[in-house]
Amino acid sequence: MKLSKLFTWLPGLIALAAVLATALPPARIRGFDMDKFGRLPVLEGGRVKPLDSVARNALLMIRSKQSVPFEGRELGPDEWLLDLLFRPQTADAQPVFVINDPDVLGLMGLKQSANRYFSFDAIAPRLQEIENQARAAQALESAQRSRFQNAVVNLYERLLLNQLENSVQLGDSPGLYLELQALGTPQAAERNKSLAGAARFRILAPLPGQGPDAWQNTGEGLIAANGAAPHPALVSLALAGAGYKAGQPEAFNQGVAELQGLTANLRPQALRHADSEFLFNRIQPFYLGMVIYVLALLTLFASWLWRRDLLQPAAFSLLAAGALVHTVGLVSRILLQGRPPVTNLYSSAVFVGWAAVILGVILERMYRKGFGTAVAASAGFASLIIAHHLAMEGDTMEMMRAVLDSNFWLATHVVTVTVGYSGTFLAGIIAIAYTLRKHIAPTLDPATTRTLVDMTYGIVCFALLFSFVGTVLGGIWADQSWGRFWGWDPKENGALLIVLWNAVILHCRWGDYIRDKGLMACAIFGNIITSLSWFGVNMLGIGLHSYGFMDQAFWVLAWFVASQLALIVLCLMPRRFWAARTT
Amino acid sequence: MIKALAVRCWNFLASLQVTIVALVLLMALVVLCTLAQTDLGTLGAVNAYMRSFLVWRQMRGLPFPLPLFPGGALVGLVLVLNLTAALVKRFDFNPRKLGLWVVHAGLILLVAGEFATGAFQVDTRMTIEEGQTVHFLESYRQMELGLSDVTDPAHTEEYGIPDPLLRAGASVPVPGTPLSIKIKRFYVNAELAPRAAGDPPSMANMGVGANVKITETAPAASDKEGNATSAFIEPVAGGTSYGTWLVSSVLGAPQSFIHEGRTYLLSMRPRRYYLPYAVTLKKFSHDIYPGTDIPKNFSSLVHLSNPAKGEERDVLIYMNQPLRYDGKAFYQASYGKGDTLSILQVVANPGWLLPYISCALITLGLLVHFCITLFNAIKRRQLSGETA
Repeated sequence: MKLSKLFTWLPGLIALAAVLATALPPARIRGFDMDKFGRLPVLEGGRVKPLDSVARNALLMIRSKQSVPFEGRELGPDEWLLDLLFRPQTADAQPVFVINDPDVLGLMGLKQSANRYFSFDAIAPRLQEIENQARAAQALESAQRSRFQNAVVNLYERLLLNQLENSVQLGDSPGLYLELQALGTPQAAERNKSLAGAARFRILAPLPGQGPDAWQNTGEGLIAANGAAPHPALVSLALAGAGYKAGQPEAFNQGVAELQGLTANLRPQALRHADSEFLFNRIQPFYLGMVIYVLALLTLFASWLWRRDLLQPAAFSLLAAGALVHTVGLVSRILLQGRPPVTNLYSSAVFVGWAAVILGVILERMYRKGFGTAVAASAGFASLIIAHHLAMEGDTMEMMRAVLDSNFWLATHVVTVTVGYSGTFLAGIIAIAYTLRKHIAPTLDPATTRTLVDMTYGIVCFALLFSFVGTVLGGIWADQSWGRFWGWDPKENGALLIVLWNAVILHCRWGDYIRDKGLMACAIFGNIITSLSWFGVNMLGIGLHSYGFMDQAFWVLAWFVASQLALIVLCLMPRRFWAARTT
Repeated sequence: MIKALAVRCWNFLASLQVTIVALVLLMALVVLCTLAQTDLGTLGAVNAYMRSFLVWRQMRGLPFPLPLFPGGALVGLVLVLNLTAALVKRFDFNPRKLGLWVVHAGLILLVAGEFATGAFQVDTRMTIEEGQTVHFLESYRQMELGLSDVTDPAHTEEYGIPDPLLRAGASVPVPGTPLSIKIKRFYVNAELAPRAAGDPPSMANMGVGANVKITETAPAASDKEGNATSAFIEPVAGGTSYGTWLVSSVLGAPQSFIHEGRTYLLSMRPRRYYLPYAVTLKKFSHDIYPGTDIPKNFSSLVHLSNPAKGEERDVLIYMNQPLRYDGKAFYQASYGKGDTLSILQVVANPGWLLPYISCALITLGLLVHFCITLFNAIKRRQLSGETA
């Protein structure tokens, strides 16, 4: 008995151990301590973050992946950034630009083939043409651009992002050492001025007596060093850069260690913050959570075929492990950003999934039928995969614009409304499970059917409560900041639709106008309304709330709506209507 | 017979079917209103779908528009009547349902608040430059023909003729002055361009208007673009005409004439509403996050001066922190002129408290309902525990 109980928890524990293992530092590559380099704090995008975050986000935007295959190895983001900064010729040969659009390929005189990744060197001959096309397209509103124009603008923006290479020294610079020696000459002044303007991040920590925001980039540091003592970090950075360029790991490692020591003295808090964020980046809790949810789902499916007594608890243990990783990720993000969990579209996806998973775990503990695990794992997986794709649109912990800069309202209105979304989705997922079970399961146990209906009803009540309270809180926030309680803005309308739909479902149920089947069909329709309110609104491009920009997502959404409509039809059809009936 | 009919009507009005149909209609309206915003702008769509009793549509080939759909106001009214009827009809002082009654009473108040907003809310704005003192609000949409007596450099006397009076052919006396203004032509929206050699002569024979070509255009549809409201006018006093002038909201150059030693400036400007107090902008701040251009905060430090009430104080207006004064709320809305000009949105809504009261009621109701349900569940569990 005890042994089998232990066995059921084993898969979850193994999964957690595997997650912890990813936090271990990897071996040094070619002897260079890239890990330490990735942990160095810089000021970018309005906040202090590790260089690793800068590298990851840039690489993700440029390549849609966090690694680059080159010379038979996978380069991580830190190594890629080092090459870009100190060995630009090498970086220019790495295949980092993903190009899918056939017309953009055509513009570069290339045919569509299996190879979709191109190096800067491959693109360079057509740079002027790309820039001309992109400039012309940028004059149009994004909704009026053709597919080609959107693709060429996108490529152009990624090429601009690649200019990150001019952040420590200019691409054609002989190196920081020589720059430090050349100070005072008119050419050097000219170069340092353009470097100060081009640098994307500020790596020189504020000196004693300066304010916390007084970070400088190397260009500014070089200008200030003319006729005065240079910022000590400049010298260490010069050593690290020269060491990296020359292939001398000892020099590089010494330079980076000096930099780290300096920052530890000047801004210990920034270094600690960067360290934590670096760990968060490496573990990628949301990605791992997604993987564990899939495992839980597969184990559960297997349990319906074999050894249910053993596999169903095992699936639950995996779900619990996934939920734990998901929660730790969410809490880390809150601590790192110093903000409530939902600050943009990406984090709303992470949070919607999290709330749905927690609700699912509670349902599973209450009913123990395996359905709680199934819906929780699918909700968690689906939301994290959406979040994964939304993360491609860029940095996920950006600063909040003035009107949104209110932790109180972010914590109350946004979180409550998002929990309302979760509830509505969860009810919809349970209804889908009901529908599939109705047609697939060999026999229908009435008690389980009852459980599914009760769960859905309860969750719809819960969703109505949260979406209503959240919407009203949003009205109060709007009254505080824009001078009107309700403005019929698209996002507000979306939230209102969810409230109204949940109210319609409940009133129909109370009036006995719908029974089990009707309740389930209505709950699936709730999926359509929530997805349109969540993502569709951003596609209209109007209103104060349109903070996400998504073109390709339109078709995904259309397919989702179509699939839900098909499921509603399936839900309303008699059991196994396609099979021949014998009386 | 009539009584039976009345009972049936009453039952129907209080029925759940009406609730459900009204809710579904409201959902449809919300979707239509949202989609229409891309064409009509937010205000246009809200007026067409939400604040109207019927949604009208002009069909091709028909001389008059047809009502195609019940409007938001009608659906809202039906919902309120339905809820009230249901409350009256089914109210049975059952303490178990107390929470739900409070929730629904709060809902009625919420809809009433939206009606009040639609009927009474007035949106205006106040534009102040640093160091400037302003004692009037400006309308977002209405214009006025402004007449400023600038004879005394220390004190400008302002007169305004609101745009509903500016109809072609009208002659409007300006109260408090010996002047009256003949309106020769009025354009709600127009395009102005320098007059080329081949263009027909301008209607104006005085001021810059003589060299301007004007073309009438349709009124602006979206919320973003404003109208270039313009008019040809002729000031007349004591039988003397001062010529025909072109005034337009897009013409910046001052145009003036002198009558009996007094100098009058002519302008077309947003309609002004004068206040019994004055607001001075001491400092406007636009903070950004370091190393970015992402705005962190906008704030206006203003001085409020109301001599009649003996009030003299400084107020800081910033994001999510409006100034509420004199039944109006002043919000930080926009800025300009290299961060030296602040635009405050000024909203007067006598019903602004209704949503707050309604929220408090609904929260209270939900809380009561939750407590009652919990209490009952615990009692049931204890009972089943005792019987077991």
